[in-house]
Amino acid sequence: MSLSAKAVKKSPWVFHVNTGACNNCDIEIVDLLTPRFDVERFGIKLVGSPRHADALLVTGVVTAQAAPRLKEVYNQTAKPCVVFVIGACACGTGIFHTGYHVVGPVDKIIKEVDPNAIIAYVPGCPPKPEAIISGVVKALSIL
Amino acid sequence: MDRVQLIESLAKIKNELIKVEKTTDSRLYLVCESLNAYKVSNFIFKTLGCRFVTATAIDSFHYYEVLYHFSHDQTGTVLTVKALIRDRGNPSIESIAQFIPGAQWIEREMHDLMGIEFRNHPDMRRLILADDWPQGVYPLRKKTKDEKVS
Amino acid sequence: MTSQLQILFWILVFPGFVFTAVLGLLASWLVRKVSALVQYRIGPPFFQPFRDIRKLLSKEVLIPQEANKWVFIAAPLVGMAGVLLLSTLLGVTAFWPKATFVGDIIVAIYLMVLPSLALILGSSASASPHAAVGTAREMKLVLGYELPLVLAVIVVIIKSGGALGLAAISENTPVASISGAIAFLVCLLCIHAKIGYVPFDMAEAETELGSGVLMEYSGGLLALWNLTSAMMLVALPMFLVMVFLGGIGTTAGSISIGLLKYVLVVVLIILIKNTNPRVRIDQAMRFFWIWCGLALIAAIVLATAGNIYGIGWL
Repeated sequence: MSLSAKAVKKSPWVFHVNTGACNNCDIEIVDLLTPRFDVERFGIKLVGSPRHADALLVTGVVTAQAAPRLKEVYNQTAKPCVVFVIGACACGTGIFHTGYHVVGPVDKIIKEVDPNAIIAYVPGCPPKPEAIISGVVKALSIL
Repeated sequence: MDRVQLIESLAKIKNELIKVEKTTDSRLYLVCESLNAYKVSNFIFKTLGCRFVTATAIDSFHYYEVLYHFSHDQTGTVLTVKALIRDRGNPSIESIAQFIPGAQWIEREMHDLMGIEFRNHPDMRRLILADDWPQGVYPLRKKTKDEKVS
Repeated sequence: MTSQLQILFWILVFPGFVFTAVLGLLASWLVRKVSALVQYRIGPPFFQPFRDIRKLLSKEVLIPQEANKWVFIAAPLVGMAGVLLLSTLLGVTAFWPKATFVGDIIVAIYLMVLPSLALILGSSASASPHAAVGTAREMKLVLGYELPLVLAVIVVIIKSGGALGLAAISENTPVASISGAIAFLVCLLCIHAKIGYVPFDMAEAETELGSGVLMEYSGGLLALWNLTSAMMLVALPMFLVMVFLGGIGTTAGSISIGLLKYVLVVVLIILIKNTNPRVRIDQAMRFFWIWCGLALIAAIVLATAGNIYGIGWL
């Protein structure tokens, strides 16, 4: 990978985006950022603005309301960035695939904006914080 | 007033109700036609002093139902006004948001998803469907197939 | 070395940019590590702040369409210039006392305002509602703590018999007296607010304002802000050490004692940071103007009385 993507590896700052989740995955993500799991050892820090972020933690099956907003947030994230898709719904719409308001899993929406986006998937319903940490660390180590 | 007095005071609107169902000790269903629902809700809210909790819309096969749930906090009883809308082609009911401003949003949501028209609603706009959702498609009606429209 | 070369060396290498940046990033690591240990976890490794800066330098810089582009880019440069000059001034005073001038404490106070002013300018040029709220809060905060800061320095000037040069002031230890101790505590809280740590971080309130003042900054400009913040962790405690705690001498023994004094001030900052919640802006202003102001007026009276009657511990 390019030099700048390598720099992201050691200090990934995350921003959390909820595109219509049931909040289970969001609870696990918020748990993740508490002192118990101590993600600061990996350099991970929660930031309040997508412009400061290197990694987007996206949960939720993307609803029709959330799709344009998700594209806007992705555009506002300073590149190079990684999109982490957390949860079964976000990875592939899960049990909501026939919903009337569902426009598709997260990677379909992100690829409409940027076909070369770097996307990593952490499935689970919800994935345990340990699973999310393992997914994030594995994805960063092959960057 | 206690529960017994509560049920006795319902006699005043007996003419507007089809029947009164008492499923458990603390749940009362007042079934009425959609034309009388406004008067019944007004009576329960203003005269009996109950608190409006929420509303539900159901697509039963033969009619649409709009349920207004009121809570009588002194006894812990929940009275539900069950309004039956028999006109399935053009469902319409008088809006109770005229005297309960707190009912505005739930009636907007029922309109968005079920297509029930609330007459004289002070501010009928789209609430929860997406901005580019087509007009006239009501997703939670039983006839609507699970196809993606957008 | 000629005079210009020496000044360039002072500004760029020691005690200027390179020294302050490295020491500042190490100090910010210390803050994060001690906070982690207090929260019963491990915390980041040694060089994490360096990695953060390196990563930020390699990201793209996004400028909002409606932002005032020149102010947006110039603000972090102005802020960094202020801190850089401040730490150069303090270091030169400590190690080359003959090269300083009378009245440099006033220059130090002016230079300390520059980073806060730059933050206000930069965030108001951001054209974002979050940044606008953050700007308003930062302006009120600066209004709040500047007055007690100047009053505390006046206490020190009175105690040192009217001397206006940092070199002369840093020969005494005003903190060993009642009025000096009061002034030291108030000045410590003002420094704390200037760096922008809890309980005075309402300008960059993360859960309320989504990053507040720095909302629209990214990439290299954000790296400049973070570096400025880290350098303030060197310059401002150093200011406290030189003005209140007796400065840093030129012998090896006094340099190590001076370093211990600096670490003591940083540890106090970390303690205050970890044991307090964030306060509202009106509570902060009330605290600085009423409580700190009254305490400092009492300290000024005590210091003047001590001077007139020759009592050293007042």
